[in-house]
Amino acid sequence: MTDSGATAVAEGTLKGGGAPPSQAPSKALRSPWTALIAVAVVLVGVFPVLSDDLYYQNMIILSMVFAIGAVGLNVITGYAGYISLGQGAFIGIGAYTVGICVTDIGGSPWVWVPVAGLVAGALAALLGVVAMRARGHAFVILTIAFLFLVQLLATNWDSLTNGTGGITLPIPTWNVEYQYWPFYYTLMGLLGVSLLMSWWIRRNKFGMGLIAIREDEDKAATVGVSTPTYKILAFAASAVFVGMAGGVYGYYISFIDPLGMFNILLSVQIILSLLLGGRATLWGPVLGAFIIEWLNETSNNEFSGGNARLLIFGGLLVLVVLFLPRGIIPTASHWIERWRARGRAGLAGERLTGIDLREREAPAPSAPPPDAKPLLEVKGLEKSFGGVRAVDGASFAVPEGSITALIGPNGSGKTTVFNLIGGTMASQAGEVWFDGQRLDRKPPWQRAHLGLGRTFQITRLFREMTVLENVVAPLRGFHLGLLGADAVSGREARRAEELLDFVGMRKYRDVQASALSYGQQKLLELAQILMLDPRLIMLDEPAGGINPTLIERIGEMIRELNSRGKTFLIVEHNMPFVLGLCNPVLVLARGQTIASGSPDEVQRDPKVLDAYLGEDFRLEQPVGT
Amino acid sequence: MTEFLQALILGLLIGGVYALLASGLTLIFGVMNVINIAHGAFLILAAFVTWSLWREIGMDPLLAIVVLTPLMFGFGWLLYNATIRPIRRAPPAASVLLTFGLALFLEGIMGVIWGNTSHSVRPEYFTESFQIGELFLPKAQVYGGLVAIVVLASLYLVLTRSWLGRAIRASAVNPQGAELVGVNVASVAALTFAIGVASAGAGGAIASVLYPFLPGSHYQWIARLLGIIVLGGMGSLPGAVIGALCLGVAELMTVTYIGPEWATGVPYVFVFIVLLLRPQGILGTRLRQDVATA
Repeated sequence: MTDSGATAVAEGTLKGGGAPPSQAPSKALRSPWTALIAVAVVLVGVFPVLSDDLYYQNMIILSMVFAIGAVGLNVITGYAGYISLGQGAFIGIGAYTVGICVTDIGGSPWVWVPVAGLVAGALAALLGVVAMRARGHAFVILTIAFLFLVQLLATNWDSLTNGTGGITLPIPTWNVEYQYWPFYYTLMGLLGVSLLMSWWIRRNKFGMGLIAIREDEDKAATVGVSTPTYKILAFAASAVFVGMAGGVYGYYISFIDPLGMFNILLSVQIILSLLLGGRATLWGPVLGAFIIEWLNETSNNEFSGGNARLLIFGGLLVLVVLFLPRGIIPTASHWIERWRARGRAGLAGERLTGIDLREREAPAPSAPPPDAKPLLEVKGLEKSFGGVRAVDGASFAVPEGSITALIGPNGSGKTTVFNLIGGTMASQAGEVWFDGQRLDRKPPWQRAHLGLGRTFQITRLFREMTVLENVVAPLRGFHLGLLGADAVSGREARRAEELLDFVGMRKYRDVQASALSYGQQKLLELAQILMLDPRLIMLDEPAGGINPTLIERIGEMIRELNSRGKTFLIVEHNMPFVLGLCNPVLVLARGQTIASGSPDEVQRDPKVLDAYLGEDFRLEQPVGT
Repeated sequence: MTEFLQALILGLLIGGVYALLASGLTLIFGVMNVINIAHGAFLILAAFVTWSLWREIGMDPLLAIVVLTPLMFGFGWLLYNATIRPIRRAPPAASVLLTFGLALFLEGIMGVIWGNTSHSVRPEYFTESFQIGELFLPKAQVYGGLVAIVVLASLYLVLTRSWLGRAIRASAVNPQGAELVGVNVASVAALTFAIGVASAGAGGAIASVLYPFLPGSHYQWIARLLGIIVLGGMGSLPGAVIGALCLGVAELMTVTYIGPEWATGVPYVFVFIVLLLRPQGILGTRLRQDVATA
């Protein structure tokens, strides 16, 4: 969110003060928080037994309904970054499910509460299918349309919903001595389960993928995150418990009508709970919900509701966006961290030399054996932007086990070729074959699962995630079991740490990616795609914009990985780097491959000299070798 | 056939009013990447002011445009500088939430001032109709549609013929580029927002004659306008006009052949269908995301 200036951090040093420091303080912080939360949970738990004040029981019940709504919303809005203004619809859908089932089929409303959850989850998944292609603003619009459409259906579909007349549910049959306890403790249980789910998602591979989607959806797709599946699952997860809570809520207020149940103010209160408490935090939505319900009651009692509620919640929404965009919990922890870290210097950067960088003459790149089969084949690839033919029939092959370079003057189409191979753009013609499989119609994440990993010319990291989280977010292959796998500890995390070790970034595992220098970001992006265990690694200007020592080190790493069987395709402008590392070298000009061969051959090729320098240029001495 | 023709012509007339209202919304989106959820509330506010002018001093609602356009322009300019300007570098979600909050707040204020009852503006010609053959065209609809087209045409002239218009379009296409050639993009954004709100003012005055309204009507209006710009392609002015005419006709056809209670659902159905089949809308373009994030 507040990333201004983070990129301006000097090479090799980390921002002090504002940057999240190492683990120690936040662990120390945790115990008072935990104690506070435990006390609050116990107080809420025993309250109805100790006090027979129904006014407060009612308030806590409504707070818990909002809280369940907000914890669910947190999954898509907090983690995946999709703002929904229609979350209240799932409360109404849950309530209507219970109401309709009790009226038409019969039985106790309690029986139908799980069904309400399933219906809400299924409808949310359906919304996710529509939302597959809607991002940002279009998605917000979609959620508003969804809420109003459901309300319209509830109003007009008389035979099912009894229209504006609404549905009246039976009065509870239990002993009055038990007051609202069954509602109270059912909702408390649902809230507990929602929180457990939220906690689990935040630390498993699925949650890492969701946050990756929030940070950079296209990039997430290139590291194997199958974004549509993630989003549909997230929508379902965000609605199931909300639907169940809606069922309980409907039974509790015992009257269900379209105006009350699909009131947009309900959605406003839910999203305000989340924003006020703190997005993407575990307890923020709960804290926010209790505050919002208290405000709700206050406006009803002191100002007789109606317009006062609109003024209070509308005004609060404006104020929160302007002055408390991160919410209470993140802002509070930020201030506490700052207070604790006062006068202390930030974690200093470290010179990246010395780690296995022996002074030795790098061996001249050897040509791939003539019988090496191509791992990647590109045939007649075409892509134009308006009238510009960026890629115009490019064809080449990358032999398995090679370090192949793709060079060419600026604007020759190298990065576009990368985007076409990686799948962030669709080609207009031509084919891409990878190890005998045709790639060009597959989505980016499937290409990643097949063993294709790429970095970007200007690094694209998930900025709000820590270094470790950036490395565990990629998904090597899709199966549901893996989504639930623990990401921040256990096997995945150990693997990520090994990779961080390899690129020399282990020390930074808990630092936010946005606080890294540009060179460090390059290293992290490399570790990130190594997590995919790719067979072909495509690097877009690995040596661009970083210091010479680091360039040399990256060269070493490429050789090391290559000796372990990884194939490379590298776009680079640094000629000594390319010519000392790669063989074969492919030359692209005006969107076509004009030459290929060993570095020596390519340097002497008149077509290449012409493309780079114009035909009147004569090379006095070969560069590099 | 008469029924169909009647629905078509009335749909196009209403579509003209929608076009004016949606142009402001899509213009704001195009220039500053802000979905102004408060647009519906602005137009209802204008409708209420029109109602008061008509009620208190007997001003004709279509004449009230002359008062409301500059009034809402100033209001929009102030509001932009007070609320949206501070967050213009925040993620796009912030502006949606902010304008949504503004919409609720305005709804509350209108409820306090005018009450939560249905209002409508009824000048003398309200009940009269033009009769052409077998067609009956209510005068209010005809005048409203024509005035909307005139206002819309002047908005187009401003955007295509004036320096400000060129600056606005430049800021929409490429803000950095516009800065480099001497356009103060922040000020242009404030003016654009003000123009957008002013068009909601003019459109709201017209709408006050066409539909009864209460403070809570703004939800229905914003849903309608969002449906239009999603259909036409977000940020595209010609798209907004096409989308508005489509919606106007589709609504009238729904009223005529399916039932008036389903007419409010038309824009929601638009949104779902467009996002499923052609997310960029009729005239929208897909952005090169890789470059946009670089």
